[in-house]
Amino acid sequence: MENWKDEDSRNWFKITVPYGRKYDKTWLLNSIRSHCNVSFTPVDFHYVRKHAQFFVKDFSTASALKAANYQIRDEDNQKISILVNPSFVSHSVLNEFKSEQMEQLKITIKKRYDVSQKSLNLQNFHLDPDLVGHDIDMILNRKNCMAATLKIIEENFPELLSLNLCNNKLYQLDGLSDIIQKAPKLKILNLSNNELKSASELEKMKGLKLEELWLEGNPMCDTFSDQATYISAIRDSFPKLLCLDGQDISPPITLQIEVSEIMKPCKESYKGPDTLKNLILQFLQEYYCIFDYGDRQGLITAYHDDACFSLTVSFKPEGQVPSSLGKYSKSSRNLKKRKDPVYLLKLLNHTKRDVIDSLSVLPKTQHDFSSFVVDLCVQTEKMLCFSVNGLFKQAEGMSQAQVYAFTRIFIVIPANNSSLCIVNDQLSVREASPAETQRAFSTPVYTPSSSSMPTLSQEQQGMVQAFSVQSKMNLQWSLKCLEDNEWNYTIAAQVFTMFKAEGKIPEEAFKQSS
Amino acid sequence: MRRFKRDWSYRDRTRERRAVYYEEPHSSQWSRGPRIREEVVTPPLRDHAALSSPMASSVDFKTYVDQACRAAEEFVNIYYETMDKRRRVLTRLYLDKATLIWNGNVVTGLEALANFFEMLPSSEFQVNMLDCQPVHEQATPSQTTVLVVTSGSVKFDGNKQHYFNQNFLLTAHSTPTNTVWKIASDCFRFQDWASS
Repeated sequence: MENWKDEDSRNWFKITVPYGRKYDKTWLLNSIRSHCNVSFTPVDFHYVRKHAQFFVKDFSTASALKAANYQIRDEDNQKISILVNPSFVSHSVLNEFKSEQMEQLKITIKKRYDVSQKSLNLQNFHLDPDLVGHDIDMILNRKNCMAATLKIIEENFPELLSLNLCNNKLYQLDGLSDIIQKAPKLKILNLSNNELKSASELEKMKGLKLEELWLEGNPMCDTFSDQATYISAIRDSFPKLLCLDGQDISPPITLQIEVSEIMKPCKESYKGPDTLKNLILQFLQEYYCIFDYGDRQGLITAYHDDACFSLTVSFKPEGQVPSSLGKYSKSSRNLKKRKDPVYLLKLLNHTKRDVIDSLSVLPKTQHDFSSFVVDLCVQTEKMLCFSVNGLFKQAEGMSQAQVYAFTRIFIVIPANNSSLCIVNDQLSVREASPAETQRAFSTPVYTPSSSSMPTLSQEQQGMVQAFSVQSKMNLQWSLKCLEDNEWNYTIAAQVFTMFKAEGKIPEEAFKQSS
Repeated sequence: MRRFKRDWSYRDRTRERRAVYYEEPHSSQWSRGPRIREEVVTPPLRDHAALSSPMASSVDFKTYVDQACRAAEEFVNIYYETMDKRRRVLTRLYLDKATLIWNGNVVTGLEALANFFEMLPSSEFQVNMLDCQPVHEQATPSQTTVLVVTSGSVKFDGNKQHYFNQNFLLTAHSTPTNTVWKIASDCFRFQDWASS
C-alpha cells in the first residue's frame, strides 16, 4: 500500500514463543515487557498450533526481545524461549485501513448501533450503501476488516451486549479470536446465514460468556446427526449458553455438588469380604517385613518362576533426578524416556532369580505400614491385581531423613499352600511431598505381640518379625536364634536352615503363641 | 453410523498439520483434518500355541515384551488424548464389565463409567512416566493381558493441578489382521489424595 515506505516494510520481525499457547496472552506480554526495557506494541498477536506469534517493528525492539530469550520463567519455573526472525510486514499492517477510512467506518457503525439495546447490527455489512459509496470493501471474512471493526467497537462501544454478524459470508472466525478483549460484555451473537463449516470455529472464541447464539443457515448445522449432538457440541465452547437458534436449551446442570463428591478421594476402595482384605494385608505385611529387615533372597519363595519385575522413578517433569533417588534411577524403566527395545527388555526383570537379584541390590528400606493404602483392581478366580500406595525411608546411607513415596502393583495367583504367588510386580518410586513426609512414621511401626523384647531397637524388632515369618518359628525362638548369631540375619538364617535339616529344632519352636 | 464431513476445500491448509497428528489444538469431534483414533490397535499377536519348543519360549518372551510396549505406547497416547479432547467417546476404550477405581471410588460397567466421565470436569493430562509388563499367562488364561503404569500431572477444570499415578490392565482381542486392546481395569489416584 502506498503509505508504507520500503525501509519500514523491511524492518519487521516475527517473534515466536514456542508452546506459547498455554500462556495467557496478557501475562505473557506483560512479562516480556517488564523484562525488556523497550516498550513495544505487539502487532497481530495470534496462535499457530501450540506457539504464539506476533510482529514488532524495529530492530532495537527485536534485539531486546532476543536478549530476553530464556530469561523469563513461567509459573512452573520453566524458561520461556523467544525466537526472533526477520519477516515481511504482517498482512494485517499492510492492509490496514487509512484513517479517513476508519472514520467513515466509525460513522457507519455508529448508525447501526442501538444504544438502548446495546446491540450492533452488522448484517450484510459489505452491502452497506455508505461503505460502498466511499469505496470501502468491508468483507468481514478478511482479517483486516474484522480487526478494524473490532477496534472501533473496542474504542466506542465497549459495553456491547449483542452483535449481529449474519449474512456476511464468514468462512472462519479467526478474526473474532480476540473479541473477548474487545467486547467483553457480549452475550448475544448472531452468526446465522454465514459459511461456517464446523463447530471448531466457535472454539476460537472460547472464553466468551455467551448466553444466546444463532447459527442456523451455516453448513455446519447439517453435519450433526441430531439436535442433541448439535446442542452439546456448541455447549462445548459455550457452557453457559441458554438459547440456541431462538430455542431455549435447558441450562446445563450445575453439578458443582456432585462433582466435588466425585472428586473426593477416599482411602479404602475395597468393599468386599474381609477375608480377602485380610489375606492381602497379611501378604503385604509379611512381604515388607522381609523386604525391610530380612534377607530379601528369602522372598524368592513368593515369586513365580516366570515372574516379572520392573521399577520406575518419577519426579517433577524436566527436573533433575534428585540425588536421593539415584540408586533407583539406574534401573528406572520409563518408556517415555527410553525407546530402545533391547534396553527396555534388559530392564524388565524376568524369572524369579533375576527379580530377587534386582530387589536385593535396591537400598535397604523401612516402610511405614500404617501409610499403606490398597486398591484392589481386579479379582478373579485365577488372580488378584492390587496396588499399594505408601511411604518409606531409606535405612542406610546418606539420605536417611528423606521420605519416599511408592506405588507398587502386584499381580498374584493362588499358590498351592494357600499363599499368594507373585507373577507381576511393578514399583514406582518418588520423593514424598512435604505433607506426606510430615505424616510418615507418625504411628509406631511394629507392635510385637510379645512384650518380652523391650530393650530391642526398632530394627531388631523388625528382624525378629521377619525371621519369624520366614522360618515359621515363633517370636521367642526367632529372637534367640538372632541373638545367638549376633544379629546377623543371613548367618542366622543359614544356621536355622542347617539345624532344621538336621532335625535339631524342637517342635515347640514352631508353636505360635496366641 | 458416523457422519464426518471431510472438508475438501481446507485440505491444502491442513496438509502440514498431518505431520503433527497428535498435536491438533482444536480438535473436536467435527474438526477438519485427521481425527483421533478411537481404538487401540496393534499388529496381530503371535499365537501362543504355535510356539511350543523350549527355544521358542525365550523368543516368546521378547515378543511379548515388545508387543506389550507397543500396545502400551499406542494406548497411552490415545487414552489421554481422548480423555482430554473427546471425553464423550472415552468409554469405547473400556470393556463392558471394566472397573474403574478413581481415588478410591469404584465405578463398574459402561453406563456408570459414561456417567462418571461426563460428570468429571474437563481435563488436561501430561504423562511423564510410562511402564508396562506383559501379564503372566497363568493369571489371565487365554486372554493376553498387559499391565500399563503411568504417572504425571493433571489439571481438572476448576481444581488445582495434581500429580497422579494410574495403572491399567489391557486385554487383547485378536483378529487375523490386527489386535484391538481394551481396558479391563483402571486404577487412578492423585499422589496427594490424602490432603485434597
